[in-house]
Amino acid sequence: MSTIPNSFKDIIMQESKAARGRSLSKIRKRDLKRPAAKWVTVNRIGGKVGNALSLVMLTQGCAHARGNEGGCTMCSYLLDGSPKPASADELLAQFDKAMATLDNMPSPLAIKIYTSGSFLDPEEIPLEARSGILSKIAKDARIEEVVIESRPEYVNGTSLKQIREILGTRKIEIGIGLESGNDTVRSICINKGFTRSDFTAAVEAAKEEKIGTRAYVLVKPPFLTERDALLDCVQTIVDAAQIGATTISINPVNVQKHTLVERLWSKGHYRPPWLWTVVDALWRARLEVDSRIDIICDPVASGRQRGPHNCGRCDSTVTKAIRDFSLSQDVQVFADLHCECKSLWNHVLIHEDVSLLVHSSEA
Amino acid sequence: MTTFWIDRGHDGPARTGHLRIGDSEIRTPSLISPLETEHGITYYGSLGHDETAAKPSFIALSRRWEQPRSLLHDENLILLPSMISGGILSASVGSILLSKQLEFLKDNSDTLNPTRAIVRIDSFTDPDSIASYLDSFGSLGVRIAAFAFDGVLAPSDYRNVILRSQLPRNWAALALGRIEPPLVAPLHYFGFDLFDIGRAFEAAAQRKRLMFLDTERITPDVAPRYCSCSACSAHPSLLGLAFDSLQDTLIQHNIGVYRMALSESVQLQQENRLRWKIESTTHSSPAMASFMRKIDRAAYSYLEEYTPNNCRHTMVLIGPESYHAPTIRRFRENIVERFSPPTHKQLVLLLPCSARKPYSSSKSHRRFIRTIESTIGSVRHRVAETILTSPLGVIPRELERVFPAAHYDIPVTGDWDSEEIEIAATALEHHMNKFGDDVVIVAHVNGGYLDIVRSAEDRIRQSIIYTSPEQPVTRRESLAALADVLLDMTEILAIDDEKRTELDDHLRAIADFQFGLGAGQLLIPDEARLGGKLYHTVTCRVNKEQVCAFVASIGSISLTLAGGQLLAPLNRYWVRFAGRELKGSSIFAVGIEDADPGVRPGDEVIVLSQDDVVVGVGRSEMSGQEMCEFEKGHAVSLRHKSEVNK
Repeated sequence: MSTIPNSFKDIIMQESKAARGRSLSKIRKRDLKRPAAKWVTVNRIGGKVGNALSLVMLTQGCAHARGNEGGCTMCSYLLDGSPKPASADELLAQFDKAMATLDNMPSPLAIKIYTSGSFLDPEEIPLEARSGILSKIAKDARIEEVVIESRPEYVNGTSLKQIREILGTRKIEIGIGLESGNDTVRSICINKGFTRSDFTAAVEAAKEEKIGTRAYVLVKPPFLTERDALLDCVQTIVDAAQIGATTISINPVNVQKHTLVERLWSKGHYRPPWLWTVVDALWRARLEVDSRIDIICDPVASGRQRGPHNCGRCDSTVTKAIRDFSLSQDVQVFADLHCECKSLWNHVLIHEDVSLLVHSSEA
Repeated sequence: MTTFWIDRGHDGPARTGHLRIGDSEIRTPSLISPLETEHGITYYGSLGHDETAAKPSFIALSRRWEQPRSLLHDENLILLPSMISGGILSASVGSILLSKQLEFLKDNSDTLNPTRAIVRIDSFTDPDSIASYLDSFGSLGVRIAAFAFDGVLAPSDYRNVILRSQLPRNWAALALGRIEPPLVAPLHYFGFDLFDIGRAFEAAAQRKRLMFLDTERITPDVAPRYCSCSACSAHPSLLGLAFDSLQDTLIQHNIGVYRMALSESVQLQQENRLRWKIESTTHSSPAMASFMRKIDRAAYSYLEEYTPNNCRHTMVLIGPESYHAPTIRRFRENIVERFSPPTHKQLVLLLPCSARKPYSSSKSHRRFIRTIESTIGSVRHRVAETILTSPLGVIPRELERVFPAAHYDIPVTGDWDSEEIEIAATALEHHMNKFGDDVVIVAHVNGGYLDIVRSAEDRIRQSIIYTSPEQPVTRRESLAALADVLLDMTEILAIDDEKRTELDDHLRAIADFQFGLGAGQLLIPDEARLGGKLYHTVTCRVNKEQVCAFVASIGSISLTLAGGQLLAPLNRYWVRFAGRELKGSSIFAVGIEDADPGVRPGDEVIVLSQDDVVVGVGRSEMSGQEMCEFEKGHAVSLRHKSEVNK
């Protein structure tokens, strides 16, 4: 494919920034000693089933989103952050509050630390807080798996070595939002701000420390037809596996406030992916990718207008099948899904490609 | 190699044509769909995901062009890759997307013949910025552009039509997206040639049966409507069908509705009755009404260029949609620009219109005429009889037989809306500006016609005498009042007895109206000899040679070669062909060097040789600019041509 002129990229950046509007100045002040969110789910941990704590730390948010590039076209996690940076002490207090949820829970446990940005960005999480949190984890023998997330530019030898040293032999994964394996899609449709080779370098560096990579794959960035989005997703999963990701988590777009995606959606120029697209992507990818690599999906806002959805009648059944698949990795959970809306979805796959009309409202 | 050309005949921008792809041909207008059918509906799909075959079909390329190029066949038309909803980002994206497609076409010229390519034009593209891109595509051989309609007739659909009006005249236009059946005829009228009926399939998947004006959803709790189509008749109880069979039935039904809608549109276009259909469709939804009204207003010159100046049927003008129809607005403008009353007119007599056309053949006008003849018959030519009507405005008696004055029909209730009154009052004002201050107006009108005159009164310099404003104008007492006023006027204005000149006045006025001011004096000079009857044929001879004839049945003048020579100095309605001698009975677009841009389809035209010698006269079959741009197709049907010198 020929290269897109810079002006196009500039327009995307400019419009991503414009979509934020004045929302940034309205971020409310929050108690920096409490995490933004925490919850516990049942997960596969080292071949067994156990509890996983997900923790969203309250920080000043992602540097890419704060900076001049306008952030990603679908993401407004920045708005869940804090208007001022959190200190190391505050971050450690947040971590302790969340860890209390795991009191009295049996082994095995897993912990996933999200920050709405990059755990390894020292501006977001001061080095002191990083090492403090990792040391606290190291002291809890029940925790067998640790997932942190970061943009690839912060994933380097020094930081990885430190993580490995503190956490010992635990299974570690670094979540990186690859989103799409295609540089044009990632750059133009998502405004992600890094290249595929940046991702590859991060995965390679992590391998050196026997640290795994969890690749996040976006389902249906804006400016793609439903079928292009489906194919891009499957290809990205295959690519991520090939590059060396150890787990692949696919994320269907949900329409977040103050994003470019929301602007398109509100004008009928974007529809979140069909759940059939998610099912089809998981199914196709599972058959192509090495079975040791888990492909998982926990769709946010599933069945809602702003989230991935079908017709409204089958959404909960299909969502459940997607969650079941994430645990079992068995495509047979999809075999018995039927709904009248599947033929509409089939039509959309063909017709959007030909017409380049977003099939959003139910005409 | 792909070529596109059109048949003779237009009804607005609507046309029938031919898209030749290699050895195959698609007759336009035509439907395209994601399913092959036996009904001449052309297939579409996207490369690498849907079937491709060695037959005419429309194949979309996605970003992944590098993959399966080998699957393309020579008879596939290629929808160039673009970006879904990119245009909404900013005003400049439309142009960027065009330049990307151009680049793509140039980069792949070794494997992709540009004549097979279809350029996609995003609805947000600035219409003023596309000309240079279209030139570049055109010079590579591209002849088709595609637009995406959203199905709700939002502003983007309006912009699509405006963008379409900017296409070079020799291109075909493809309407993609959600096109509900009622939109087929309007899009045909607005100049689209190919229609995506994907909506037939989408609706079927939603249990929807498309009808001509609306949509019916087949649900268990409501009894379905009766439908006589073969698909529905095969299943008297739609509700009993399993979803898959119901869907198949609805697809067949929906496709049938599109086929009927298109065939109706084609037939109406060929009969020059499409505008009536368009105006009726306006009332299918508020969105449709605003869509069409906005286009009528914004794209007048585009619609007008392809609107013929004649019609074999009665033109029905029913509601406000007709007030600004191209034919009607052009008529009013031409009356202003091209009618110049003879200087000997001393009275202006205002009369109401009649249902029967031409007016003078109606019962009411026969009474008016009898009254005029019996009172001031010998000087009737000094009276400028002027008929007030809606929505044409004012019609001088001399022009009552031209198109569309003799060919329209309006509902007559006596109620006029304020817009109609204003249109006619303005026309009356312009009309009266052409007369001297000492001319007297006799208004033999009442009801709505009286409202028109009253509303224009302040804007008129001349004095107005009302004959019998209180009662119907055809009543005995009213006619007596008219007779009295006319008699009084003769004395007051001291109109003398002299030779009557009605036939000359009529012919000159018609010639001026048809060819432009000055044509009357050129074609019917003072020494001309006229013969015949206005209600049938009037011939005009100069030096014993016929120069033209007015034919009442078509309401226009046809020229002889000698007439063409007389008219040539006016420098209008000419077509120049690339040669010196005409052969055969037609000139094809390929042979046209240049033409008066004022030429409309169906106009009487003079044919000039490359040396600017009048070598023929005939009837245009397309607009003057179209015959310059098309490489193929019937441009002029010749009536007379110079004898070839052996």
